[in-house]
Amino acid sequence: MAHGGGYFKTTYASDLALVDTRLRRTALAALIVALLVLPRLTSPFVLDLVAQTALAAVGALALNLLTGLAGQISLGHAGFIAAGAFTTAVLVEHRLPSPLLALPAAALVGAVLGVVVGIPALRLKGLYLALGTLALHHVVLYACGEFQNHWGANTGVSIPPPRLGGWVLKGTTAWYYTLIAVAALVVALSVNLQRSRAGRAWMAIRDREIAAESVGIDVARYKVLAFVWSSALTAVAGALFAYQRAFVSVEAFGFFLAIEYIAMITIGGLGSALGAVLGAAFVTLLPYGIDAVVAGLRVPGGAEYYLFPLKFGAFGLLMAAFLIFEPQGLVGIWRRARNWLSLWPLRYRPLRPAS
Amino acid sequence: MTQVLATTVVVASLYALLAAGYVLVYRATRVLNLAQGDMMTLGGYFLFLLTTAAPGSPALSITTAAALAAAAGFFIYHLLMRPMAGHPIFAAVLVTVTLGILLRAAIVLVYTDRIRHPLPLLGLANPPRRLPGGAVVSTFDLLTVGVAAALFLALFAFLRLSPLGIQMRAAGEKALLAAQRGINFQLLFALSWALAGFAGALAGILYANNVRLDPSLGVLGLKAFAVALVGGLDSLGGVIPGALIVAAIEVLSVRYGDPLLADVSPFLCLLAMLLVRPWGLFGTKEELERV
Amino acid sequence: MPFLTLLASLLAVLALGAPASAQYRVGMSAAITGPASSTYAPTYEAYKVYFKRVNDAGGINGQKVEIAYEDDRGEPQRAAANAKKLAEASILIVNASTSATYKPFMTESETEKVPLMFGGGVCPREAFPPANPLIFCSTSFGSKWDSRFALGFIKEQAGGKKVKVAFAAQDIPLSRIELEFAEQLAKDLGLEPIPVVVVPGNTPDFTPFAQKLKDAGADWVLSWALWHVEVGVFEALQRIGWPGKYLLYGHQQTQDELARLKAPTLHAFGGNTLFMESLPIHAEIVNLVKGQTTHPAHYMAEGWVSAMVLEAALKKCGWPCPKDKLATAMAGVSVDTKGLRGGPIEWTADNHYRKNTYYKVYRWDTAKNGIASVGGWTRLEIK
Repeated sequence: MAHGGGYFKTTYASDLALVDTRLRRTALAALIVALLVLPRLTSPFVLDLVAQTALAAVGALALNLLTGLAGQISLGHAGFIAAGAFTTAVLVEHRLPSPLLALPAAALVGAVLGVVVGIPALRLKGLYLALGTLALHHVVLYACGEFQNHWGANTGVSIPPPRLGGWVLKGTTAWYYTLIAVAALVVALSVNLQRSRAGRAWMAIRDREIAAESVGIDVARYKVLAFVWSSALTAVAGALFAYQRAFVSVEAFGFFLAIEYIAMITIGGLGSALGAVLGAAFVTLLPYGIDAVVAGLRVPGGAEYYLFPLKFGAFGLLMAAFLIFEPQGLVGIWRRARNWLSLWPLRYRPLRPAS
Repeated sequence: MTQVLATTVVVASLYALLAAGYVLVYRATRVLNLAQGDMMTLGGYFLFLLTTAAPGSPALSITTAAALAAAAGFFIYHLLMRPMAGHPIFAAVLVTVTLGILLRAAIVLVYTDRIRHPLPLLGLANPPRRLPGGAVVSTFDLLTVGVAAALFLALFAFLRLSPLGIQMRAAGEKALLAAQRGINFQLLFALSWALAGFAGALAGILYANNVRLDPSLGVLGLKAFAVALVGGLDSLGGVIPGALIVAAIEVLSVRYGDPLLADVSPFLCLLAMLLVRPWGLFGTKEELERV
Repeated sequence: MPFLTLLASLLAVLALGAPASAQYRVGMSAAITGPASSTYAPTYEAYKVYFKRVNDAGGINGQKVEIAYEDDRGEPQRAAANAKKLAEASILIVNASTSATYKPFMTESETEKVPLMFGGGVCPREAFPPANPLIFCSTSFGSKWDSRFALGFIKEQAGGKKVKVAFAAQDIPLSRIELEFAEQLAKDLGLEPIPVVVVPGNTPDFTPFAQKLKDAGADWVLSWALWHVEVGVFEALQRIGWPGKYLLYGHQQTQDELARLKAPTLHAFGGNTLFMESLPIHAEIVNLVKGQTTHPAHYMAEGWVSAMVLEAALKKCGWPCPKDKLATAMAGVSVDTKGLRGGPIEWTADNHYRKNTYYKVYRWDTAKNGIASVGGWTRLEIK
């Protein structure tokens, strides 16, 4: 295997590789080691947070596929997550709790829902598409609420821990490893989709649909495909959510959840898998970050109550700040930082001589 | 039957007041203000603030509350929406969502989540009124209808007849050309936001006196924007038939169908409209590559 | 810049460990903000005031009580994170939040063997006989028991006549399931039930629902839902001239609202005594709470009783008090509620709800121009 030191590739294999430079390989290895070792270093609370981040990243990557890559704005994300979670609930109610059945079933339900949404969505653009998906979100939640009322015991459906053969998945550490692995898979899937034919078609559609059509891309097919991929992945995330929380209730899937996912990909940076992951981490961890910062402050007794709505407001404020001041998101910051590092002590790339 | 009709008109008036805000902002700036429901709540809480500051003077409290909400709309445009000028519309819509979050947080910070009733503090009453035909509505129900009608008439007159209104329509259609004609379109956009705040405040004040005031009233805004879409996002005139249709479906599904469907019915209308005629009943057919 | 803040706060979160010290360490997760906060935030505030007094007076058995408060906004994800955080260091967790948050806490409680007390939300099945050894509940209302009392009351008020009872539920599972149970029970009690009418919480106008109830010819309407739905339906019924009587579950705002509405046909039932009865305990709470809480004193009853139960449990446990000892101690605790409830809260090994539950009904009395109770306390034995 030939390795060109950074930008000089000598084989097709090295050109196609996902991780191409030595620095990237080392960084990836370090990250993997850190993730593997983390359970020994921190408390279950922190592990749970990282696991939540990983699951959120799966949802964010799926939404990024639809909105960031293909340019189809969707506000109905919470509906797809709910669909996946309730598929699991339906199967549990029918005494079929195995994840080997539930996960593919959720993916299938998600895909079908994606087709149901995608085909009418062909007629809609931009804001109208967003509004249509929002309306669909309410319809899906209504259906889930009806199901829950008929079959839920009291306030929701309890999901038993998933078993694969003899092994039961429960406990913070086990879930941590599982979700990190799933997230890694979805990241790889996402990056590969981006580099594939479908990915290029999506980006063309996002940038200039008429030009894409004139070049010969079947816009309708690829748009529906984007919806199908995105909703299938999201539904799988929903099913995992159901298993992890061991409880499915329609209240967990309100409109604010969709806003959180949109915030994740927007704050992270639209169109980038790294952005989706960074955004997921940011949005999931921000409330706890604010908690940690605030815990250091000494606040007089009666005023402590006010901290809670302040934390909620801080989320909105930070999101607005990112949207106004940093439209490229965390990925934009990361790229600027990386460029600064790689060019230091110079500030700009040298111009190439004319000849 | 007359009761159904009366309730439909009342609910439609409330939705129309909210939807007017959506349409005004969309026409001018092409941004969908998803925080319109929270601006309605803000107006209601401004009223509550004034009832505690100046108890017993309803006229003063109501007018000041509406004025404060209009000013809030003005400042919101300059602080939040103007910096989003070059950004994709989607990002601007997201900023309105964060605006909603901020407004709610601010309200809860000051007033907590308790349900409030400004009506007795204002010294007003809300007795039921019998209409010809046997229907019964409350006084504030009638006021809602009246205020909605008055607001729409005023807006029509303003937008069609007054120079400022015509400039606003011009700025909404083609901001660049309007600027080249010397129209200060930034001021007009801010004015459209102020009008949206005013309309929302009217809805909030009326609802707070008629039913209740609490921070989560903003969800009514989501239903109202289905109305705006059915009528046509950039058509003020379309709001009225849109509101009547959506309200009728909602009330009829309670009386004669499944009450639970009533909550979802505005969105079903929205979906149906999007499938059949995305630009609404009276909206302008948007060019395909708009966003 | 925001990225650096994130990084810094991440490191801060990682670095934060639980310092060990000699105190009763209790964790509480409540819906302090979020849509449900008006019901549950007062519990948080009541705990704060109550245990500040306890600690200022020297604590329990000479040890201070340290309560770690977390806000879960009524959301399951945050509840799960809170559960993990609190379960590590606490000998007891208190949940004062929506039922959507229950499962993560019950799972953590079982895994870490930490006793879990519900102090404001509806009591889960596991607190009733046969009780789960780790699950306790101090909340004044309970599913099914509320309906049993309410229908018993209606039957008594009907005085032998056959009355038509309608039910106004909200579109949340708890409300619908409770009132569907009530509908069934009404039939068994000899009342004439009308099918449950479900009212969405976001309804702009309650008139069509009221019309439905009026057209069905209801003599009584029973409602068990969030306050704004219960009262919205009532106001609409009044407006369209319905002559019947209304019975609803009274939440924290009962006292204020009965005074606002001044309607003699509106009956509110509940387990907590209203502050207008001016018992000594009420004056005590009003004095203590002055200036320290954002909610008024008469919202604090539910949380206060829960705090009293916790204090009694810790006292009984003694010191040192590891979590298993606490769980056993709680199973035999008996708390005198000093009039805040109709009687004492007594738990047994099998019954972590209470041996007897008490209900009272209040309504506006136009003659006295004030709120009056309709009869005294009704006791229901929990079997």
